[in-house]
Amino acid sequence: MKKSIIVLVAITLLACNNSKKEEKETIKIGQNTVNTSVKQTPLEKSIERGAVVYKDFCVQCHLPTGKGVPGNFPPLAGSNWLTEKRTESIHAVKYGQKGEIKVNGVTYNGIMTPMGLSDKEIADVLNYSMNSWGNTQKVMVTEEEVAKVSK
Amino acid sequence: MKSLYLLALITLLFSCNAPQKKKDVALNTETRDYSIETVVEDLSNPWGMTWLPDGSILITEKSGELIHFKNGTKTNIANVPEVYNRGQGGLLDIEVHPDYKNNGWLYITYASSEGEGSGGNTALIRCKLQDNSLVDIEQLYKATPNTTRGQHFGSRIEFDNDGYLYFSIGERGARDVNPQDITRDGGKIYRLYDDGRIPEDNPFVDVKDAKTAIYTYGNRNPQGMDKHPQTGEIWIHEHGPKGGDEINIVKKGINYGWPVISYGINYSGSKFTEITKKEGMEQPVYYWTPSIAPCGMTFVTGNKYPDWKNHLLVGSLKFNYVELVKLEGNKVIDRQKIAEDVGRVRNVKQGPDGYIYIGIEGQGIVKIVPN
Repeated sequence: MKKSIIVLVAITLLACNNSKKEEKETIKIGQNTVNTSVKQTPLEKSIERGAVVYKDFCVQCHLPTGKGVPGNFPPLAGSNWLTEKRTESIHAVKYGQKGEIKVNGVTYNGIMTPMGLSDKEIADVLNYSMNSWGNTQKVMVTEEEVAKVSK
Repeated sequence: MKSLYLLALITLLFSCNAPQKKKDVALNTETRDYSIETVVEDLSNPWGMTWLPDGSILITEKSGELIHFKNGTKTNIANVPEVYNRGQGGLLDIEVHPDYKNNGWLYITYASSEGEGSGGNTALIRCKLQDNSLVDIEQLYKATPNTTRGQHFGSRIEFDNDGYLYFSIGERGARDVNPQDITRDGGKIYRLYDDGRIPEDNPFVDVKDAKTAIYTYGNRNPQGMDKHPQTGEIWIHEHGPKGGDEINIVKKGINYGWPVISYGINYSGSKFTEITKKEGMEQPVYYWTPSIAPCGMTFVTGNKYPDWKNHLLVGSLKFNYVELVKLEGNKVIDRQKIAEDVGRVRNVKQGPDGYIYIGIEGQGIVKIVPN
């Protein structure tokens, strides 16, 4: 019991460690820190590019944790859309999303305006989202797949 | 033992919340003695709006369409410059010249990819409206460099009582490069003559390599601007990061401190500065923590809303309401939620008929009608 308290407190301290040296926000690439000395797979490369897109276009609403804002912006972390609604997910990033949707059983009725991303950027940011915060998806989203999703 | 465990859990839960502002002015919900009427339907992102002398409305859609709404009918205006519609960029604000009746000048800000380099940056044009088309287009300003970053284009336009034009450009996602450097665009309020010339008494006209249109700097991303009805001063608000949205009064040559001083933190929760005050950097009139994501603002004048007169209305993109910020001089003394749950508020403006109009993403334009 005592140990678990110590662990909890340690997590608390670590979780809120506002590193003063940190000049810019960093986003963890995928599940693990990417080792650039090892040859990256196309998926790993896409995830790495997607992290940059995410920080630029998505993080304000969906947050660095991918948890979104309850009642307002749906989560990406653990989202059933990313696993079960692949085409719909691509469509939402490509053309925007409006009206009622259900994510993990919770109804959202908001609006996400289209971001003006290229098909490649859309694939990258989806690969990043599908492989971050505990999400995994081995089947890579490709530029070609995004191109095929029409309005 | 159990209580210790609980305490640790509670600490864990609360320790990572965004900091709350201490001794804040309480936010109340005003009793509704008004109704909300739809004026324009089916708009996707009504970014800017302005009224012509006949009472019709010109509305900018972020995606690049300029709509003339007259007698219940929408007409798309032709010959609108091509916009760089990416991230927060697109067709932005629109404003009529104070003497529009006689000179017909319209002013528009938008994200433009004109010039060298890929990407875009904020531009200001003036033009006239003729036979449902923009004519006599003159580019008055184009910020450099172009960049593919999706953030912080600004932009709002406003005229003061002496006819000077003010407009804002956000720092384009280059926090540590643009806002504190007066030789670079972005993170600034600009002041021009109505024809685009740079006023001789702008603060940095004699500074080597400075962008001489700059009037203030150290701003982050101002998306609200209006002239105070009594003092004639130009007021703005600007988005903070996580926390630290600000209301500021535009004063010649002033540095508002972004990102050296801020009441906000990074989206991730980490800090980028330890200080909120510094000599030579202006303190805001008011700041919001947590952020409301302010967009659009207007002072209330006239007699349609006696309780709101001379106070400030600010749209909240994030929390779907309009905030009535009550003022005593330059001090915020009360805050009330207006039009709660109205939708994602992109713009709020008082029309020449004295009514308050709200631009809502995914919906259109509504107005507040007192009962």
